[in-house]
Amino acid sequence: MTNNGTRWALLGVTTVTAVGVGRAVARRRHRRQPERQDGWYVVRRGVTVDRPRDAVIGFWTDRERLDRAVAGWATLEQVDDRSWRCVARDPAGGGTEWRAEITVDGPGTLRWRVEDGPVPQEGRIELVDAPQGRGTEIRAELRYRSGPLRRVFGLVKGDDPDLGLRDTLRRVKSLIECGQVIDTRRDPSGRSPGQEKATDKVREKLMTGGRA
Amino acid sequence: MRALCWEGVGKLAVRDVPEPAIRAEGDIIVRVRASSVCGSDLHLINGYLPAMREGDILGHEFTGEVVETGSGVRRHQVGDRVVVGSVVACGGCWYCRTEQYSLCDNSNPQPVFTEKLWGHSPAGILGYSHAAGGYAGSHAEYIRVPFGDVGAFPVPDGVPDDSVVFASDAMPTGWMAADFCGLTGGEVVAVWGAGGVGQMAARSAQLLGAERVIMIDRFPDRLATAAERVGVETINYAETDVLEALREMTAGRGPDACIEAVGMESHDVGPTYAYDRVKQSARLQTDRPTSVRQAIMACRKGGTVSIVGVYAGLVDKFPLGAAMNKALVLRMGQMHAQRYIPMLLDRIASGEIDPGYLATHPLPLEEGARGYELFEKKQDGCLRSVLHP
Repeated sequence: MTNNGTRWALLGVTTVTAVGVGRAVARRRHRRQPERQDGWYVVRRGVTVDRPRDAVIGFWTDRERLDRAVAGWATLEQVDDRSWRCVARDPAGGGTEWRAEITVDGPGTLRWRVEDGPVPQEGRIELVDAPQGRGTEIRAELRYRSGPLRRVFGLVKGDDPDLGLRDTLRRVKSLIECGQVIDTRRDPSGRSPGQEKATDKVREKLMTGGRA
Repeated sequence: MRALCWEGVGKLAVRDVPEPAIRAEGDIIVRVRASSVCGSDLHLINGYLPAMREGDILGHEFTGEVVETGSGVRRHQVGDRVVVGSVVACGGCWYCRTEQYSLCDNSNPQPVFTEKLWGHSPAGILGYSHAAGGYAGSHAEYIRVPFGDVGAFPVPDGVPDDSVVFASDAMPTGWMAADFCGLTGGEVVAVWGAGGVGQMAARSAQLLGAERVIMIDRFPDRLATAAERVGVETINYAETDVLEALREMTAGRGPDACIEAVGMESHDVGPTYAYDRVKQSARLQTDRPTSVRQAIMACRKGGTVSIVGVYAGLVDKFPLGAAMNKALVLRMGQMHAQRYIPMLLDRIASGEIDPGYLATHPLPLEEGARGYELFEKKQDGCLRSVLHP
């Protein structure tokens, strides 16, 4: 009898714990999922650049600086006054490539749309003055389509558009503020080629999705 | 070239490695003439900051000669003698513009680790693990210094390498520790840790107006050197109750400011220390905060506790109640090298500070591992081993 009682008590405790933990995990997962809107995943990210808005706009309109800034990972082609075509390659040299149409909507606002990239996506960038003379907030909204399966596979492979967006904003901030994106991947070390390859994987993980 | 590499917890070896090259227009390549060991390296070597990879080149406190400059470098020419701040700073972000260089937004290319650990990523540091950017360090014949115009400073004529090398890290760290104390003249300052940083902090506190400096350590030779060279009063914590002694030395008030220059592997005697060691060994806490606890307990009401010893993560039994109820000011941080180095070089040149005596053990690079052993075990009166590649 006691034995049976203990069994029921244990079962009860286990069930309550499992349900509790499950709910906590689900809630946490839910909090970390991108918002859904009309079949699009929507992510909003921002970065603060320590330059006035005009200087940030100036950076993108100074063709020479821009070409120098994106050299090695993208080419830009101006279609007309307000639109550009961008072909970008994976900076890590993964061989992936995507094309974006960029449209300038007004001072401090632009949109882009990727048609033939790995994931259909469109986005919007708005420049807002940061408080206390802290420069400019670059606020980006990215919308992308992805089925649940594709999203999971994408995440496993490391192609999370959100991570890409965070990387890009960080890169842009660094280019505007100090003219380069620092990289230590080819710094000397006492590693064998195999160890270096493993370390590069760790570096990639520590670089991806970081925010300044 | 030859370089001293980390080969696993507690293991160092000199290896042949490729030479660095200019990678960006602001880079300079420096031929290292002197590169000091630093207490903060011990945390990396001993695996307390789990972001080292086999083959990483150690070293972040150094001086040398410019041998190559990127096309955008304006302030340096090939052949210049320079001392380089260990913290990498871009010079263009808000933090750099407001002289908070160790908080630079753009100099850590691998920010994810520290963002997860600390909420935000501070600046990169040369030769200081993949948490601080994965830069190759200075215990090598050559090193690439990014943002050379921001991070490297010309060495005044006639100042020897083994002296100016400490303007790279130990001196600015000590100066910042004293600067945090907000001294206005006549204060009593206590300094935990009689190593290079502690002694520089003591000297800086004197120059900033402290009337008395009391230094706490357990090594009689280090305390004797500090008393002789800097003119401090000393407490040996292995023999004396520190809190009691400080209270008596200040007629009950406690020191106006307490500087902690020890860090996460601090030592003590007694059961609390044993408890901390067990917890740290089991990785239930990353850092042993022994000296920070003492500094908080010892500090006078409304005083300042200034922490420049390196801490990585979580500590246990932190006396927040004492800090809160005594209305203490807590200030801490990695040093803003670029803010202080030019001023410190002037003070070295004028003889106001002479850090050269810290270099007790000049050694060739090949003896790097022994240099760290002497330093860690405080053998043979070692204050600092300085490697000469």
